[in-house]
Amino acid sequence: MACNPRNTFPGAVFNSRERSVDLYDGVFGAGDGLGLEDVQRNGGIEVDYRGNEVTVETFIRLLTDRFPSSYPRSKRLVTDERSNILIYMTGHGGNEFLKFQDSEEIGAVDLADAFEQMHEKRRYNSILFLVDTCQAGTLLPSLRSPNIIAAGSSKKDQSSYSHHADQDIGIAVIDRWTYYNLEFLEREVTSTSSNKTIGQLFDSYDPLLVHSDTEVRYDLFEGGAQKARERRVLDFFGNVQAVEMGGDTEEEQQWREDLVGLKRLIERNMQAREDAALHPLLSEATITAAEAPLGLLKKFQVVSAKATSGWSKGVGGAMALVSLGVGWSMASYFEY
Amino acid sequence: MLLSSLFLLPAAVLAQTYTEHLHLSPLAQTSHLLAAFNFTSTTPLPAYESGHFTHFPRSLAQILQHTKTRELHLRFAWGRWDDEQWGPRPRMGRREGGTGVEIWAWLDQDHGGDVEERWSGLVNGLSGLFCASLNFIDSTRTTHPVLSFDPEGTHADGVTGQELLHGTLPHEVVCTENLTPFLKLLPCKGKAGISSLLDGHKVFDANWQTMSIDVRPICPAGGNGGGECVLEIQQTVDVVLDVERSMRARGDPIPRPRPIEELECDGGKGYGGGDTCYPKVKEGEMGWSLSRIFGTPVRGSCHLGDGHADADITLEVPLDRMVNVTNAQPLDAGNEQGIRSYRLPNHPPGQYTDLALPQQSVTQAVVQPQPPLYATRTITGSGQQHGGMHAHLRNPHPYAQTITYFESLPWFLRPYIHTLRVRNSETHENVKLEKMFYTPAKDRERGTHLELMFTVSAGGEVELSYDFEKAVLRYTEYPPDANRGFDVAPAVIRVLPNDNNTGDGGRQGSYIRTTSLLLPLPTPDFSMPYNVIILTSTVIALGFGSIFNLLTRRFVLAEEVPASKLALRVKAIVGVAQDVVGRLKGTKAVEMGGDAVGSGKGDGMGNGAG
Repeated sequence: MACNPRNTFPGAVFNSRERSVDLYDGVFGAGDGLGLEDVQRNGGIEVDYRGNEVTVETFIRLLTDRFPSSYPRSKRLVTDERSNILIYMTGHGGNEFLKFQDSEEIGAVDLADAFEQMHEKRRYNSILFLVDTCQAGTLLPSLRSPNIIAAGSSKKDQSSYSHHADQDIGIAVIDRWTYYNLEFLEREVTSTSSNKTIGQLFDSYDPLLVHSDTEVRYDLFEGGAQKARERRVLDFFGNVQAVEMGGDTEEEQQWREDLVGLKRLIERNMQAREDAALHPLLSEATITAAEAPLGLLKKFQVVSAKATSGWSKGVGGAMALVSLGVGWSMASYFEY
Repeated sequence: MLLSSLFLLPAAVLAQTYTEHLHLSPLAQTSHLLAAFNFTSTTPLPAYESGHFTHFPRSLAQILQHTKTRELHLRFAWGRWDDEQWGPRPRMGRREGGTGVEIWAWLDQDHGGDVEERWSGLVNGLSGLFCASLNFIDSTRTTHPVLSFDPEGTHADGVTGQELLHGTLPHEVVCTENLTPFLKLLPCKGKAGISSLLDGHKVFDANWQTMSIDVRPICPAGGNGGGECVLEIQQTVDVVLDVERSMRARGDPIPRPRPIEELECDGGKGYGGGDTCYPKVKEGEMGWSLSRIFGTPVRGSCHLGDGHADADITLEVPLDRMVNVTNAQPLDAGNEQGIRSYRLPNHPPGQYTDLALPQQSVTQAVVQPQPPLYATRTITGSGQQHGGMHAHLRNPHPYAQTITYFESLPWFLRPYIHTLRVRNSETHENVKLEKMFYTPAKDRERGTHLELMFTVSAGGEVELSYDFEKAVLRYTEYPPDANRGFDVAPAVIRVLPNDNNTGDGGRQGSYIRTTSLLLPLPTPDFSMPYNVIILTSTVIALGFGSIFNLLTRRFVLAEEVPASKLALRVKAIVGVAQDVVGRLKGTKAVEMGGDAVGSGKGDGMGNGAG
């Protein structure tokens, strides 16, 4: 896309009309190329999937890690049960679907199934799922896996709009909801140790500016809306850790002690595992007991998510039938 | 040319070296500049096999070792080389790739082990390393060429026990995300030395560019006594930049009309007044500098313990062209051929080096050498079922040239080989094919592999043509932009070396690649499923109701219809309701007019009720 011959600015992708930040750049603050004393090269951009590789099948395989063994590691989502994943999708969408490449769509149920598989394979600790399309909120009710905070840029029958266009490039460069998300991140989250929360992010949207109502789903998160809103934004957005190296011998000594302690812990674990191998029945029983209540809890959540909507739909259908029946009988009366 | 000498094997092979070289050559009479970057690094083969890497990139080495690849050539290319204007291709076309991605490698057969599986592992590993969709190179895009490629390295037993596989992906886009890992393979990682010039915004704004990676083993001559074998990796970036376009500021690349004060007007014209300006033709060569073309001057240097003082930057310009050098040491080598050499400063580090050539009229006309061959290839024919392939080859030199012509076609382009004609353009007599290798295609399994060897006479023109048939693909096999068409990989033409051609020698000969082609296939209308569903549903909804009524409705006179029970019951209820309403009205009237009307009303009511 950036190297498309129709791109007026070859090799560059911008997110605002001012073109102050080139998202495809390996260099920050290079300006027109001269005056390079404060240049920090961040290593350049790497895109894992592009062009004809971006399909619904590839996306679902990426989430569920169903790849042949020869598939390179850099193109897989290498996560475990301690990872926080940010999934951000944008483009065109509608009632319970999102368009891929103008030729296929991913449905809300497929997405929910993929997340459920990720949960069963313990591939995430928590997911922040952001969608910026028309009627994005309709993708959310189908989700059923725990520990997901989901937000869509617009409700059912509402469109999401673009923010502004760049006349030189010839297309809109950023969408409204994305723009206000970015504005929050740039204005409020000022360092890698910022404590801004998800709740503050979601509260910062002004429907009059965004031109659509954001729909958020907190109920899948353990602890509900309160705990979800208290999570730090940087738990999902920042993966650059501020590492500080100390030169004190005191700290080194502490690290050495920690390492020794870890070594003892590991040895103890290995010993415990060997004991468990000798008594396999005992270890299995304890595992199943711990998991049982969790399974019941999940079932309750699933039922509650779907039950309310079904009841109201049934009543609406019955009313329609009754009114049609009354209309029919009245019509046959008038005929005679 | 200077670049061809880079292929001669050095007599004494140094064990662990790294050299980098930039060759700048303004292409004659055009405002284009060829910038050819080369980064070469060697490592002793025993160290490589035991896992000690210093300059050799570890990530690439692990992929090669895992898949038992002995020699690898990988190319990312985009653009078109203009033969008529620019002359022969750089490095004799040996570091050039076909549009998109082209890869060929020699893999160990490993006692009849599964080469296809390791080839798949190789392309998958490289796709992860270079952020390209190389994993799409499967058996349908892989061929085994026989004549076109010879190994560049020295292998212990020749190439017995090894298999050559060639894969091509003409639709692949090359962009900054491919350049980034390329730079990360370099020891200086694009931060110092000539690699600091490589910026995605300039490299991918070029008229023609190729990035290539070549890994080959080199064993010194003389068997065991000459020294140990080394593994050499050569990374090359060749770009042809439009000087005027590259010098536009990055923030404003759109050509806008210059203010009239900046225009130089030709006052000698008879027409025109004070507000019109006939622009003066700029004479001579345009002025340019490295910092304005690449957006940055060269930063520092990347001399890694090689010890010798080779030139880092060479500039091929006429002798009377002025060059202003900042912070580089000019060397004397090659001055007589019009090649100026410079070496980047070692100390102090962090200096900026720039080369600036001011605008100047040059008296000496530069004669552009002719390329070994001019080759073009097109698809002919119309319609969605049949077509033809037509290649035109012209030999401008006064000696005959033997060439091999290699094509790797996708399976949905089905050539009729019995219609293959290789003819002299002028005399229309058939050219004798000295060798021919042909592997027919199998639907959805492998593509066509066609290799021909023949001789083009001195100054002669040869036309190669055959007919083909287009296949109809299945509904799911079309890409998202199906109506664009499908890309067909370029043909690789190898001009074999012979005694007559001077300077184009070397064991390999030179290579020319034609452009890739767009093949329009019969494409279904993908909006039709929706249209069919909507139309059918409407027709059924409208038609069914009408036909059902026509078939089952009976028309009868109104009096013949027996009163239905429901109607009678409704009539009875309505009658009772009317009685009640009447009685209420009657009692009200009695109350209201009881005194005045009195008995009269009562008689009337009584009579009515009776």
